[in-house]
Amino acid sequence: MSPGSRPLLDDPRWYEKAVFYELLPRGFFDSDADGIGDLKGLREKLEYLQWLGVDCIWLLPFYPSPLHDGGYDISDFMTVAPELGSVDDLAAVVAEAHRRGIRIISDLVMNHTSDEHPWFVESRSSRDNDKADWYVWADDNHRFANVRVIFCDVEQSNWTFDPRRQQYYWHRFYHHQPDLNYENPDVADAMLGVVRFWLDLGLDGFRLDAVPYLYKAEGTTCENLPATHKLLRRIRSEIDSSYPNRVLLAEVNQWPDVVTEYFGDGDECHMCFNFPLMPRMFMAVRREQRFPITEILAQTPPIPDGCQWGIFLRNHDELTLEMVTDEERDYMYAEYARDPRMRRNLGIRRRLAPLVDNDRRVAELLHGLLLSLPGSPVLYYGDELLMGDNIYLGDRDGVRTPMQWSPDRNAGFSRADFAQLYLPPLMDPVHGYQAVNVEAEQRDPSSFLHWLRHMLAVRHQYPQFAKGSFEVLPADNPSVLAYVRRPRAGAAQPDEASDAGGAQRSIEPADADDLTRSSDPLHPDWPTVSVLCVSNLSRFAQPAELSLGRWEGCTPIELLGRVPFPKITSKPYSVTLAPYGIYLFELVERC
Amino acid sequence: MPPAPSALEGLVVPYLQRQPWFLVYMARYDSGLWPAFRLADLEIVLDGRPGLASVVVTAADRPFHVLVGWRDAAQAPAALGDHQGAVLGMCDDGSGEVLCYDALADEELATVLLAVASAGSERATRARVVQSLVSHASLVYDERLFMKSYRVLEPAPRPEIELLGRLDEVGFEQILRPVANWKRNGWDLALVREYIPGAVEGRWLALTSLRDLFGRNIDEEKLRRDEVGGAGGDLSSEMRRLGEITGGLHLALAEAFGVRPLAAGEASPGVGIRVHGDYHLRRVFRTDAGWIVGGFGDDPLIGRSDDNLTRREPRFASPLEDLADLSYSLRQVATEAVAAQPPVTWAQAERLAKAWERRNRGSLLSGYLGVDGISRLVTLERSEVAEELKSLVAARTTAAC
Repeated sequence: MSPGSRPLLDDPRWYEKAVFYELLPRGFFDSDADGIGDLKGLREKLEYLQWLGVDCIWLLPFYPSPLHDGGYDISDFMTVAPELGSVDDLAAVVAEAHRRGIRIISDLVMNHTSDEHPWFVESRSSRDNDKADWYVWADDNHRFANVRVIFCDVEQSNWTFDPRRQQYYWHRFYHHQPDLNYENPDVADAMLGVVRFWLDLGLDGFRLDAVPYLYKAEGTTCENLPATHKLLRRIRSEIDSSYPNRVLLAEVNQWPDVVTEYFGDGDECHMCFNFPLMPRMFMAVRREQRFPITEILAQTPPIPDGCQWGIFLRNHDELTLEMVTDEERDYMYAEYARDPRMRRNLGIRRRLAPLVDNDRRVAELLHGLLLSLPGSPVLYYGDELLMGDNIYLGDRDGVRTPMQWSPDRNAGFSRADFAQLYLPPLMDPVHGYQAVNVEAEQRDPSSFLHWLRHMLAVRHQYPQFAKGSFEVLPADNPSVLAYVRRPRAGAAQPDEASDAGGAQRSIEPADADDLTRSSDPLHPDWPTVSVLCVSNLSRFAQPAELSLGRWEGCTPIELLGRVPFPKITSKPYSVTLAPYGIYLFELVERC
Repeated sequence: MPPAPSALEGLVVPYLQRQPWFLVYMARYDSGLWPAFRLADLEIVLDGRPGLASVVVTAADRPFHVLVGWRDAAQAPAALGDHQGAVLGMCDDGSGEVLCYDALADEELATVLLAVASAGSERATRARVVQSLVSHASLVYDERLFMKSYRVLEPAPRPEIELLGRLDEVGFEQILRPVANWKRNGWDLALVREYIPGAVEGRWLALTSLRDLFGRNIDEEKLRRDEVGGAGGDLSSEMRRLGEITGGLHLALAEAFGVRPLAAGEASPGVGIRVHGDYHLRRVFRTDAGWIVGGFGDDPLIGRSDDNLTRREPRFASPLEDLADLSYSLRQVATEAVAAQPPVTWAQAERLAKAWERRNRGSLLSGYLGVDGISRLVTLERSEVAEELKSLVAARTTAAC
């Protein structure tokens, strides 16, 4: 086996325990000095991602695009944007990533295309061409009258008049992104062709963009319609039959009960993002109380076996506030986006570090929650460095600036002239690349980067984080959030054990209530290990008294330092928490 | 065979005389001499070893309830664990000497008690004593049930039990649902209700919010405009939700007990309802599912009553009285939080606390008046209600001084 090699496991449920890392190919590393990151550049940096400990890369769109919406306006689904490389380059990235034990999924925009896509160019050319009804056309703009406008800052209507065809076309997002018409079966067939093409190349799945809007119907909100679910089941069925170990991760920015419908009966998407949770993690920290988090988790229905949430702190979009109440949104704006430039649509376009006023303690707390709450965490490139943003750049470009690799020219991202760069790197004295970069943080053993890497390593050792049951422990102090992740029998295994074994383990149905057996089917005599997470959402030190009677006699072991804490007795267990402190403890049952 | 009644009485009376809650209660009647004690009721709940008896003793004709447990003297210390102070003394149960003690301290007997109090409908494996107040001791069973074992007995129904039962009947869900009620001889001996782990008293959320407020630099200009909401621990959205719950509570009370015209000279126009009567931030709890009204209790040591030891009789009054109680408790908590600050910062903290109180009172009212149907109970315009509320709070402040 060559150096750095860590072969992929044949594990159909790998996504349940994976740590995802979202990156922008054009912003990651530029191999050919043209000012734009590319796939060859990404391949060079896979070693770094392996070092960090991520399991799966989510590539933002790499398709040809006029780039009016960060590449989500695709003008050709079947190739790679020339400035990023070629299909062969992508195949090489996938092969190298797999060699290093990293999977790769990519964005797939099924809902719409760019208005420069040949399908739309043909469709708008007349009313009777071959693609005439591949998009949603109408003679007036009266249909679907009560459907909300998502990009309300810039679009007045979901209809735009096309002077060539002398008709209106439907678009849920920008006017240059016409929605495909899935009522036409040829469209679904074509999109399945796209899916097969990239899976044949070796991609490990897709992050499905904007799935709730695929089908439209009069008298509805044009969201979450049954036909949309039917199409997703069809795609899933195709994947299950022909492409094992692949994943569908859906972007469904809706309330939890609606989102869970996208799991189907375990026959639609493997994963969905938990959008409502994310803003509430920030809200909980600002309010110094746990209820925003515990309330939304209490409202989140259980999901089918084999399904998993994707949870995140920040991503390439704004911190979306669609899934909060108006009052909560006002609060979030007041707290996190005092400058109107920081706002966009119904959200806040900022990166993690500036959102938390560059407070490393808060960043650690939020990442600690991210890595221990139910779901597979999705990191956003640069957040592992606590990179900043540039709110003076348009749209969401402020959070899509080049990855900061070193204090060298252009942040070590590119050898091109500064003026050639697709976006300027950050150069401010706080977040600028001279101060914040991979090279510096790798050299500094106490950096956030090293802390996070350590946390990822710990997470990989405990399958409880992936699919363990979740139970909030009562605490009188509202600033304290404590919960236990307890293994389910037959749940996902720790990476180390799996690596050693190599072969796929048998996966038994989860049984949350069976606490008498070990969580490890290969070692039924091993004790059950739960993980206790205790966090302080306040910026002041806090006491906590926890009811840990079930573990009476156990000695909690703190996971990062393996420090034994005082033995649990029948009395409430006292913990003193530093400001924004988060502690993870191992609790061994049957001790 | 259980211990003889006279033996139990002989142990219970000196035990009562040692109990802080009893001493606090009786202090009001203290004439320098102990009143006459009399065994008023005895029920053997569990005969054997261990055994359990419900004992009611009157002192100056007031009934007090003690649950007495007994075991072999050798086993008792282990059963009592950290509650060795619960021992009443030794007595004979016909088969030899046993150690008698307050049965709530014995987890096994406490679970027996649950089965008895719920007429066999509820069972539990774990029990823990969580609170010991004058009027009752409280136990939590398996982190899902809560029992109030009353110490100072009153003729049934206690207002708390009646209110909870009626609210449950009319479908008001933001309460801790009553599960069972142990009655005997016209007394309510215990109430079993739902327990929600992790529920936090409203007072703690208010203190968290104030802590955050005091910990921030609020500039003078914002303070002048009452813009204290920028502080992270802002409570106003929670107060709005609590206002909504309170509106729902009042509509449910009106449905359960009817409405009456208000007497001349009473607070405001509108109708009188059976008010909660002791509605403050220790009576409401934030849970993961929102606010609940957790306490309709009648513990004489809780609440704002200026006559702490008298029973609070059910009364019909303007619903604004409850809102005023809650608003006044915002003021009390703010005052408490200011006092906990270093004296040198009191002036600034008081200004912040006043702005905080105004803001949260306004949110509470907004939530309350936004409830569908509330205009049937409160007929005034918002501005008039706000003024009325302000004056009711001021009256409470004056009365407290």
